Amino acid sequence: MNATKTYFKNVWDSVATTLVGMRITGKYLLQKPITVQYPDERLPIPERYRGIHYLEQEKCIDCLACARACPIDCIEMDAVRHGKELEWISFTLDYQKCMFCELCVYPCPKDCIHMGTEFAFVTYDRSELKHDLLSFKGMAKEARIRMKEAEVKKKEKEAAKAAAAAEKGAAKPAESAQAPGSPDPEGQA
Amino acid sequence: MDGGNIFLTLLEKVAPEGVPGWLLALTAAVVGIAILVGFVSVLVMFAVWLERKVSGHIQCRYGPMYAGGWHGWAQSVADGVKLLAKEDLIPLGSDKPLFVLAPALMLAAIFGALAAMPLSPSVYFTNLNLGLFAILAMSSMTTIGVVMAGWASNSKWALYGSMREAAQVVAYEIPFGISLLVPIMVIGTLNLGEASALQSGWYGMHWVMFQNPFVLPAFLLFFTAALAETKRAPFDLPESESELVAGFMTEYSGIRWSFFFLEEYAAMFLMSVVAAVFFLGGFESPLTHLARESFGRGSVVHELVAGLTLLVKAMFGIFLMMWLRWTLPRVRIDQVMGMGYKYLTPLALLCVLGAGIWEAIF
Repeated sequence: MNATKTYFKNVWDSVATTLVGMRITGKYLLQKPITVQYPDERLPIPERYRGIHYLEQEKCIDCLACARACPIDCIEMDAVRHGKELEWISFTLDYQKCMFCELCVYPCPKDCIHMGTEFAFVTYDRSELKHDLLSFKGMAKEARIRMKEAEVKKKEKEAAKAAAAAEKGAAKPAESAQAPGSPDPEGQA
Repeated sequence: MDGGNIFLTLLEKVAPEGVPGWLLALTAAVVGIAILVGFVSVLVMFAVWLERKVSGHIQCRYGPMYAGGWHGWAQSVADGVKLLAKEDLIPLGSDKPLFVLAPALMLAAIFGALAAMPLSPSVYFTNLNLGLFAILAMSSMTTIGVVMAGWASNSKWALYGSMREAAQVVAYEIPFGISLLVPIMVIGTLNLGEASALQSGWYGMHWVMFQNPFVLPAFLLFFTAALAETKRAPFDLPESESELVAGFMTEYSGIRWSFFFLEEYAAMFLMSVVAAVFFLGGFESPLTHLARESFGRGSVVHELVAGLTLLVKAMFGIFLMMWLRWTLPRVRIDQVMGMGYKYLTPLALLCVLGAGIWEAIF
């Protein structure tokens, strides 16, 4: 008798539990999917997500603090200094090496390197993983203007000096005014 | 009824005098085969797309969304083109003739079974008096294809899969047949068209399901056994992709593999049609009744409504199979065997007994 009872209980259980399961999956079937169509729409990314870096080049002073902080040396930067102004040649970050530790961000004295929320950067070639963070090469427009102004001022000053020297009645012949300047800052833009 | 084909009857009416009979028969057969294969292929494509959408939405994702534009409707077409373009691989150690023959045999068997299916009350390929018997016989033949594929592949996974299929089909063929006896006892015919016509009372709701209290349990048993027959989850032990790579079709790829796929979905459709005709009223529904009353039996509208009714019922059966597949976990092979022999078979016999007594009394 007991065995018969168990037998029919098994039958009943299998039918009942199947119906319970079908109710649950049916509910999910009618529900809106929780996934998004990825390349077309994206889920919100946390603000402090460590994605691809971006650089505020105008602020950067080429101090190499980030490059030195990097534990795997994936940041390389190169710039020529013209007094206070910088002429940018390169600022590369090799994402083949980068481990997204964010250690480069903290030491920056000007707070100009950041990690963004972009995480997808598939390429066809490994070499393309070496990103150049510069938004422009050479000198910034403002820097160029500032430098020109400074040069003009300097020349004026020198001219004034020379004039003053001439006025004093130069015994010695005036040395050819050699501006200790730059080897053509306008070279590349 | 005659064992004829509706296209042959039509052709004999239209054809001029003097055309030999064999030519007419051949033309009718070719036309019938073309229509059947085309119809079933399109249906299978739709079913594959539906399966992917249903499984996706049950798992809270979208499923295919891009191919073709609207909800990835052309995904199956794209898949088909891909499968056609794939390299036709035949393993070096395989038994080549058997390997090539196996999917063809399965397809032939399932289309042979589908030939007994009426498209609408007067459009049919063959009008067999033993329609259901032919369907049972032909659809069981697919097992031979599975065993052949497994043996010819010369791979242990494939052989395991096909052995499981053989064991499973032997276990489930019995309750499958016995549970079908119940509706046959109620309506008393094996012909699919006739069976459907016999359920036309009660404004189109005189379904076998509502004629005898033992038909509902028989339907559940039949549906379970049909799931096992068609190798659908939770009884997909012959394929069992989590244990045997892909079961009996491990070594198949490209178009040959797609034949197995076509066979599986065609078998699902066939089982759903059988369930619809012998349990759920076939062509009959209040709508069919209305069409018959207002346009008359044999009118185009009636035929169309009746055919669509059967199609909708069959699609509902297919949807139910998909729903079950994505609801239930897979069972072990010993559980499959135990369920077949210890539960389904005795319960099916019980149903037959009960239905018989009920029919004798009422």
